[in-house]
Amino acid sequence: MKYGYYPGCSLEGISVEYDISIRNLFKLLGVAVTDLPDWICCGTLAAPSISRLLGVVTPLWNVARAEEEGFDQLVAPCSACVYHLKNAVRQVADNGPLRDDVEAVLGRALNDPPVVVHPLEILTNDGFESRIRQLVRRDLSELKVVNYYGCHISRPADVMQFDDPDNPQSMDTLLGWVGVQTLEWSGKVDCCGAHFSLIKPDVVVDLSARIFEAALRSGADAIVVACPMCHANLDTRQTRLTEKLGRSLEMPVLYFSQVLGYAMGLEPELLGLNKHIVDPLPLMLEKCRGRQVEISSSARTEEIAV
Amino acid sequence: MTFRQQIEGLSGQNTNLCYQCSKCSAGCPMAEWMDLKPAQLMHSIRLDLEDRVLNSTAIWLCVDCETCTSRCPQKVEPAAVMTAARVLATQKGVTPSVKEVSIYYRGFVDNMRLNGKIHDASVAGITQLLTGQLRDNLPLAWKLFIRGRVKPPPLPLGGGEFRRLYNSALAIEKDREERR
Repeated sequence: MKYGYYPGCSLEGISVEYDISIRNLFKLLGVAVTDLPDWICCGTLAAPSISRLLGVVTPLWNVARAEEEGFDQLVAPCSACVYHLKNAVRQVADNGPLRDDVEAVLGRALNDPPVVVHPLEILTNDGFESRIRQLVRRDLSELKVVNYYGCHISRPADVMQFDDPDNPQSMDTLLGWVGVQTLEWSGKVDCCGAHFSLIKPDVVVDLSARIFEAALRSGADAIVVACPMCHANLDTRQTRLTEKLGRSLEMPVLYFSQVLGYAMGLEPELLGLNKHIVDPLPLMLEKCRGRQVEISSSARTEEIAV
Repeated sequence: MTFRQQIEGLSGQNTNLCYQCSKCSAGCPMAEWMDLKPAQLMHSIRLDLEDRVLNSTAIWLCVDCETCTSRCPQKVEPAAVMTAARVLATQKGVTPSVKEVSIYYRGFVDNMRLNGKIHDASVAGITQLLTGQLRDNLPLAWKLFIRGRVKPPPLPLGGGEFRRLYNSALAIEKDREERR
């Protein structure tokens, strides 16, 4: 399987820790990814709010570029990117006239474009269970988390074609493989308010407060996410949330890739764990029983090869 | 062409399939801030209430979380309808009822035209400056900066491919509009 990698704009900026942790996790698991050359932004909700055609053609430019590179799958860690890429593919599949316009703008036909996937799809679908279980080096069985899927991991089902839109399980499954306790809770697929953080932060604080209330009720130590937008909203707004909830709130928000990598013994710097607003390291150290010597990713790759 | 037909053409959705079960309104995380709830908006479109729809706050407050689309028993996609209404409002020169949102989308696409990708810190900073929120966000910006999560803005040299898509897509749409 030849995987192309589409980081998306957030992973080059505010969510650089997601990029670092995904790349090192993939390296450790032997998933070889090649960056999509000269990729452009997917346009998110902004491009389709300006023009219908622009909103479809922008993500598809990347898909067409990935087809040119001969990738079988295009991996995008940002769930908003995944959604907009997948949705554009679906829209032209259903709509002949739109497809003609798109191909006219692109200056080429879309013949057999690669499938767009979120890293969770690769890890849960492509037979990684025994490998992941084998690579566990830290005992995190005392760590209790809730998995927050947000909007676009599995919703809408017709577009995403992955996991359950109302009660998704992929992160619960993955973290279960490395021995982390995943709790049931009611906030799994609620919306954090996404880009409204920049526009109407009060709305985001309100929506995030509900997510944190549900997480606190469940007794979780941390929230685990798979989307840069979810992470930014939950990690960076906790000072304001403390005022709103009337109780001190300092709950680490982690990417699933960071938890998996940490369980597999990667150093915190190789997972970007030093870059959060709410520092997750004290919690990780406290909950980690049977600590092993930390190993750099290149040393681990050699170890796996042997 | 009626207003309903314009929305349907842009969104690819048949609003007449809606039977007003209101699951979309019930699940919408933004409904409490909207003047027209999603099910009311769908019905307003069927009644061709163009001014009411295009001036509503609903079309700008939709975050595209897709809860409505996901739960619609008739497989209508209210989120796609909301997006189409935003495009139509802009095309018709209707003043956006929630101007911060349109400032953000416009600024986002303008930033893409500089580099193809966006520089997230610039988009955030410009949006917050234009909406009067920059000062409140400076402490957070500093915390992100010292953690290496704010990269310097790139030189605006890489937007060629996106600019081509932008000009070409908008020209095709404009041409079609004029022929109508």
